[in-house]
Amino acid sequence: MMSSVPGADKKSKLLVYTIEECPVCGQKTKRAFSVGDYVTKESSKCPKCSNSTRVSLVYAESTKQSG
Amino acid sequence: MSIFTAALQVTSSDLTTYLYIAFFGLLFIVQFAFGTRLQSYFAINEISRGLNKLRVMKDKARKEAIDYLINVGKAAADPTQRVDQFLDYVTIMPVDIDPSGLVGKIDHVVTTNNDRVRSEVGALLNQSNPVTISISENLLEVATSLNQIHKIVRHYYLLGKKTNSYFTLVQLQMLMPMIIQEADALLNATDSFRMGQPVGDGIGPVVVSKLMAGKEKRVIAKDTVMAVTEYKGRKLYVLKADGPMAYVGQPGMAIQKIIGEMGVKPSAIVMIDAALKLEGEKTGEIAEGVGAAIGGIGVEKYQIEEAATKVKVPLYAILVKQSILEAITVMRKEIAEAAEKVGEVLNRVIEEKTKEGDEIVVAGIGNTLGVAQ
Repeated sequence: MMSSVPGADKKSKLLVYTIEECPVCGQKTKRAFSVGDYVTKESSKCPKCSNSTRVSLVYAESTKQSG
Repeated sequence: MSIFTAALQVTSSDLTTYLYIAFFGLLFIVQFAFGTRLQSYFAINEISRGLNKLRVMKDKARKEAIDYLINVGKAAADPTQRVDQFLDYVTIMPVDIDPSGLVGKIDHVVTTNNDRVRSEVGALLNQSNPVTISISENLLEVATSLNQIHKIVRHYYLLGKKTNSYFTLVQLQMLMPMIIQEADALLNATDSFRMGQPVGDGIGPVVVSKLMAGKEKRVIAKDTVMAVTEYKGRKLYVLKADGPMAYVGQPGMAIQKIIGEMGVKPSAIVMIDAALKLEGEKTGEIAEGVGAAIGGIGVEKYQIEEAATKVKVPLYAILVKQSILEAITVMRKEIAEAAEKVGEVLNRVIEEKTKEGDEIVVAGIGNTLGVAQ
């Protein structure tokens, strides 16, 4: 009969990243998310070929995970 | 001496035995007579603790919604009173004793509600940025849900206490862990919404946005866009909610229009959506199936099934597994990385199930916050 009300899950900190992809050379770069980023948004210049990159993904990684 | 000691031992042993019997007898009587009262007492304590947590959560969600309206939405006047009215806003579902045409009625009521909320939020804000308006809508929706959960739990808690109903209290006590978990997920969602980050539920739109990139888009239904593209000689009608706003769109209406008004005769409808995983399943796992892969109240699902059945088009589903928390909070890496694999599965399904020259509808289902096209 006894059950327990759980506390809010112990939150592992999530870091949110933006992945930029160059549509020309396919180079991917990963940087911290900044407000206003969204998938398909035109972003910075590609470090490899200087073309405009596009945001291809925005995701969160737990600080517990490596990488 | 030894006889005296033995006599004493017997007496002491007997006394202990009598005490044991008396103790356990009393315990049995207490348990028998007051067992349910004791359990009720424990249940009341536990529900009360949970209720306090729910109260803190709903107050926090309300505050975050108000802060967002003031700081980001630049609300002209103090929106507190209006937000409090929103929290108690009710949607009365149509009568279902005559089920004929019920889905249309539900659609009408829900659409009326959504339109009203959007126009009122728009009027409250001192700007017309659709992303900010859609985020405000979602934040208010979260605050309303938490307010509702708190009210319902409090109702049964007080009712159980008032009527001294052991079974009401114990049922509520057993449900509390799940209720708190859901409420916690909802509260966590506010962070992602405020920041405009894609949520786990947006995996369908992420996959589809790649197919739409660089193509001409048109609005096919309310908050829903469509583009036409090609894949290995097949013509793809690709649709998703209009991003990067926090919309889910009307994919049901969109598919009905593609088949009905546009006269497209698709060979297959492929739907990509997030699906709730069972405990033990891995986040980001991909499952394939048949049927309309879409959640919600059922209106969209009905419309898609109706449209597909009318022209006898098979419905294929590609699902990405995730928990409720992962579905409504910022997209996890495992889910985002599944996008590429989903794309491969989609290509395989198209190649296996259709032939060159065929027309196919591909729908990315889910909240498209932070995912444009």
